[in-house]
Amino acid sequence: MLYLIGLGLSYESDITVRGLEVVKKCKRVYLEAYTSILMAADQSSLEQFYGREVILADRELVETGSDQILAGAQEDDIAFLVVGDPFGATTHTDLIIRARELGIKVEAIHNASVMNAVGACGLQLYQFGQTVSLVFFTDSWRPDSFYNKVMENRKIGLHTLLLLDIKVKEQSIENMARGRLIYEPPRYMDIATAASQLLEIEELRGEKAYTPDTPCVAISRLGSPSQTFKAASLKELAEFDSGEPLHSLVMLGRQVHDLELEYLYQYVDNKDEFKKLVEADQEYFKPPPYVAPVENDDEDL
Amino acid sequence: MVAFTIEQIRELMDKVTNVRNMSVIAHVDHGKSTLTDSLVQRAGIISAAKAGEARFTDTRKDEQERGITIKSTAISLYAAMTDDDVKEIKQKTEGNSFLINLIDSPGHVDFSSEVTAALRVTDGALVVVDCVEGVCVQTETVLRQSLGERIKPVVIINKVDRALLELQVTKEDLYQSFARTVESVNVIISTYVDPAIGDCQVYPDKGTVAFGSGLHGWAFTVRQFASRYSKKFGVDRLKMMERLWGDSYFNPKTKKWTNKDKDADGKQLERAFNMFVLDPIFRLFAAIMNFKKDEIPTLLEKLEISLKGDEKELEGKALLKVVMRKFLPAADALLEMIIIHLPSPVTAQAYRAETLYEGPSDDASCTAIRNCDPKADLMLYVSKMVPTSDKGRFYAFGRVFAGTVRSGQKVRIQGPNYQVGKKEDLFLKSIQRTVLMMGRFVEAIDDCPAGNIVGLVGIDQFLLKSGTITTSDASHNMKVMKFSVSPVVQVAVEVKNANDLPKLVEGLKRLSKSDPCVLCTINESGEHIVAGTGELHLEICLQDLENDHAGVPLKISPPIVSYRETVEGESSMVALSKSPNKHNRIYVKAQPIDEEVSLDIEAGVVNPRDDFKARARVLADKHGWDVTDARKIWCFGPDGTGPNVVVDQSKAVQYLNEIKDSVVAAFQWATKEGPIFGETVRSIRVNILDVTLHADAIHRGGGQIIPTMRRVTYASMLLAEPAIQEPVFLVEIQCPENAIGGIYSVLNTKRGQVISEEQRPGTPLFTVKAYLPVNESFGFTADLRKSTGGQAFPQLIFDHWSVLNGDVTDPNSKPGAIVKAKRIRQGMKPEVPGYEEYYDKL
Repeated sequence: MLYLIGLGLSYESDITVRGLEVVKKCKRVYLEAYTSILMAADQSSLEQFYGREVILADRELVETGSDQILAGAQEDDIAFLVVGDPFGATTHTDLIIRARELGIKVEAIHNASVMNAVGACGLQLYQFGQTVSLVFFTDSWRPDSFYNKVMENRKIGLHTLLLLDIKVKEQSIENMARGRLIYEPPRYMDIATAASQLLEIEELRGEKAYTPDTPCVAISRLGSPSQTFKAASLKELAEFDSGEPLHSLVMLGRQVHDLELEYLYQYVDNKDEFKKLVEADQEYFKPPPYVAPVENDDEDL
Repeated sequence: MVAFTIEQIRELMDKVTNVRNMSVIAHVDHGKSTLTDSLVQRAGIISAAKAGEARFTDTRKDEQERGITIKSTAISLYAAMTDDDVKEIKQKTEGNSFLINLIDSPGHVDFSSEVTAALRVTDGALVVVDCVEGVCVQTETVLRQSLGERIKPVVIINKVDRALLELQVTKEDLYQSFARTVESVNVIISTYVDPAIGDCQVYPDKGTVAFGSGLHGWAFTVRQFASRYSKKFGVDRLKMMERLWGDSYFNPKTKKWTNKDKDADGKQLERAFNMFVLDPIFRLFAAIMNFKKDEIPTLLEKLEISLKGDEKELEGKALLKVVMRKFLPAADALLEMIIIHLPSPVTAQAYRAETLYEGPSDDASCTAIRNCDPKADLMLYVSKMVPTSDKGRFYAFGRVFAGTVRSGQKVRIQGPNYQVGKKEDLFLKSIQRTVLMMGRFVEAIDDCPAGNIVGLVGIDQFLLKSGTITTSDASHNMKVMKFSVSPVVQVAVEVKNANDLPKLVEGLKRLSKSDPCVLCTINESGEHIVAGTGELHLEICLQDLENDHAGVPLKISPPIVSYRETVEGESSMVALSKSPNKHNRIYVKAQPIDEEVSLDIEAGVVNPRDDFKARARVLADKHGWDVTDARKIWCFGPDGTGPNVVVDQSKAVQYLNEIKDSVVAAFQWATKEGPIFGETVRSIRVNILDVTLHADAIHRGGGQIIPTMRRVTYASMLLAEPAIQEPVFLVEIQCPENAIGGIYSVLNTKRGQVISEEQRPGTPLFTVKAYLPVNESFGFTADLRKSTGGQAFPQLIFDHWSVLNGDVTDPNSKPGAIVKAKRIRQGMKPEVPGYEEYYDKL
C-alpha cells in the first residue's frame, strides 16, 4: 500500500493522528522536499518526532526514480510525505498513476494546504477563482499567462490566490542541458518581487485586469508561529518587506463582502484609505446597473 | 624608404580622403610578399629613428624559413602624386600626398582566416595572380571573400619574367595569356553584382590591371605606356589607353588605328598592345639575355634609361633586373593604380556601412560610419590580436570606422555576443595606449581618426579574438567576420610533465587569442583539444603553443577529424517525451533539410537575425519551403545560428509561447552535442507537432521543458535514419604532365575523387582537382611529394560535408567504427543508444 500523507503547513505536529499512525508502521517513509518546505520543521526534527528514519526525496528521485519509491509496495506499506495536502498545489498525480499501473493500492491522508488555509486572511473561500503561480522572471523568460486567469477571475468578481515561486533545488540551464546534477542555492519569491512582476505585466499588457491601486493581501508564513498578513494596494506591496519565506498573495475581486472588509481592517495601515481603495476598485468590471423589465400593462390585449 | 617623424605620419592620417587601406591577396606562392617588399623599399614609411633596419613583412622566423606568410602584417606607405595624376582620381582628394596602409596576407588556404581579418579593415585589395599558373583556388576564395565584404579589387599579373625567360612565349601568346587571366578574374567578379559598390570588374585599358615581376621589381599598367605615347602621338591619354588593349591595331604604313587584324591588302597587323607595350620589353629581354652588347646602349637610350658607374659592368639577369627596374619601377605602377582606383575610407564607408554594422542602417552609429566622421562617437572594429614582445600580451589590431580613438579614452568593449541594452560580453575600460603598427615596429600616437588602422594596448584581456569598441551605449556591434574556412582537423594535447598543466592552460588561452580561427576546447573527458583548418595550420599553432605560448614540452595525439551528425529520412514515427513531472509532453518529428538550405544558413544568407517574413520569402522562393512553415521557424542551432531549425507545426496550443525560450535553449544544447557520438548536429529540422502543457506556469518552467525538448530531439533523430557527415577537402594540384600518374595513385589509396584535370593553355602545367576526405588527408602532401618526385604541391581547402554511407549503429561499418572509437575515447558507452532511451511511451 502506498500512503500519501499531508503534513500540513508548518509544525512537525501538524500531521494528523491517522497520518502519524501510518508513518510509524510503514516500512519506508519518503519526505518530498522540493515543491514546498515545512517552515518550523526539518528532516531531523521529523525523524525525532516520528521516532523513525525518513528518506529525503528530491526532484530527481520523485520524477525519474519513482520505481525506487514504489519498490515492494505491493506487499509493504510505503509512506510518501507531502508538505500541505497531497492533492494541493503539487503534481504527484503521476506517482499515483504509476502505482496503480503496478497494482499498488493507494490511500491519501489529507491535511491543510495553502489552498484552504488562505481563508485565515478573512476572505471567504467561496469567493476565490482560479489559483495561479507567479514564477521568477529571467531575462528572456517572463511568462504572463497568469494575467488572463486573473482577468477571468476579476471579471466575475472573484479573488485570486497567487502562489509564489520557490526554487529549492534547481539546476542552472547549462547544467540542466548537460545533465549535470549541480544545484543553485534555494530561492523564495517575496511579496515585493511578486507585486512588481505583476505591475510589470500590467504595464506591458495594459488591459486593466488590475491596477497599481488594486487591493491585495500579502500572506506570509501561513500556519507558522510568525504568520502575518498585510492588506494594501499592489503599489504599496511592491515596496513591502515581507521577511522570511514562504509567502502568498491574494488579489481581491470586486465582490468584497462587508464582513470580509471588516476582517481585513486589522491588517491595514489606514482603514479609510483602504476602504476607498476597495470602493474605487469595485468600479472595474462592474455589471451594468439593474434595469427592471418594463411592466407592460397592455399585456392582455 | 621614406623617413618620417611620427607627427608627419599623424598629419597624413587626418586627411582621410588621401588614405588608402588595402590588402594584398593571392594564392600561395604567387608572390605577394616579394611584391610588397618592392613597394616597401620604395615607399615604406619608417620613423626616422628606425631607418636602416630592414625586412618588413614576414616577421616571424618560421615564415622566413618556410618561405610562406603565416600572419598578416600591416605597413604604411607614402606616395606623392603629380597634379596630372591627381586629376584622374574620381573621388574627393586633397593635395598630392597619400598614405597607404597595406596589409600583406598569407596565401596558403590554411590561413584564410588571416585574410578575412585583413579584409575587414581595408577597402581595397591588390589581387596578385601568377602569370603562368593563372587563377587558382585560393585566388578565387580570397577574391570572393573580398567582394563579399564590398572590397574593390585591382589586379597585378605577376611573374611575367617567368613567362619570358622560362616559357619563351611570343608576344601574342603573352597577350592571350594576360587576356585569359583577366577574363577568369572577371568571371568571378561578375557573380557578385552589387549595385552599392558598382562595377568591380578589372580592365587593363582602364588601368586597373598591372603586369610585372615582383622578383625583378618592375611592373607597368597600360596607363603608363599611354602617358608616354599620348605625348608622342598627341592623342588624349584616355583614348590612348583604350587603343593599347584589346582588338586594336596600328597600321604603320597608313599610320591609322583600326580594329581589324588585317590591313587593306590582307596583311597581318600587329596588335597595338604587342607593338607598343610588349615590344620594348621583349627587345630589352632579348638583347640582354642574349648578351647583344652592342644593341643594349641604343635601346637604353631610346627608352631614356641611364645606368650608373658600376651598373654598366653588369650583364645577363643582373643587368636585366637593374634595367627593368629603372624602365618600369614596380612601385610607381602599383602606387598609381592603388591611389587612382582604390577607394578612400570616405568613399568606401559610404557603401560599406550597412554591411559592416549589425544595427539599423539609419541610427547614429551607422550614419557616422557612412560619413567616416571623426567627430562622432567612436566605432572601432578589432579584427585580430597581435602578440607583443611582452609574453602573453597582445595589441588589439583594428580599424577606426567612426570617431577618434585616444590614449586613455574610456570605451565600451563589446564582444561578439553583446546585444544592445544587455550587459553580457561587455566591458567598460580605458585604452592604455594607441599605437601605429608598421611591420614589427610600433610607434605610440596620441589619437587616431576615423578611416585609419590602429593598434590598441590594454584591452586584450577583455576580447577573445575580435570585437567592437565604441563610446556610445546605443551602438550595436559591427558585424562579426565570416570565415571561409572552418576548423575541421583537431588534435588532443597534453603536457609531458604533469606540473606544467597550468602553463598549458594559459598557453591555450594565448594561442586562441593570437589566431583568428584556431579553436581550443576541453571535451567531456577532460582532454584539451586544439582545432585548426588544416594540417599546416595545426602544425604552426602547435609549434607556437609548445615553443612560445605555453613553453613546455607537449604530447600531441594523432589528428582527429570533427564530424557532424545528421538524419537522412523523416522520423519513422512521432517522437514523444514527457517532462520529469509527466505533466508536459512534446511530440516532434525530425527530417533532413536540403544541403542548399544548410549552406545558405552557414553562409548567412538565411540568417536568424533577419526579419522572419523576409527569411520566409527566401526559403519559400529559393528552396521551396512551405511559407507557413518558414515563418514558424522558432530558432536555429547550435549557437543560435547553426544549420538546424525548430519549426512549430502545432495548432492552437495555449501558452506555447511561454515554453519557447526553454525549447530554444534545449535545442542549442541538443544540436551542439548530438545523440550519436556527441558531435555537432547539421542539417536537421525538428517539427513540433503537438505539445501538452500543465495549466500552471510553475510546472512548465525550464526545469521541466529543457530536458524534455532535448530528449525528444534525440529520440526523433534516432528514429530518422541517423547518419554522420565527414568533412571533405577540395584539392588542387598543379604539376607537369609526367607527375599526373603519381597523383592518381595517391588519390586512389585515399578515397580521393578526381573531378577535373585540365591543361593550362600555353603552359605545360596541368591542374588536377579532386575531393579528398579530411580523414584521409593526413600525410597526403608528403605522400604526393614522394610519388611525384616533389613535382606536385597540393592546396587543400575545406569544401563540403559529405554523408558517410553506412549504419552508424553497426560497429562493423565504416561510420559505425568511427562512432564507436569516438564514444570510447569520450568515455561514453560504446553503443549508440536506441531511440527508446529518449522516448516515453504514451
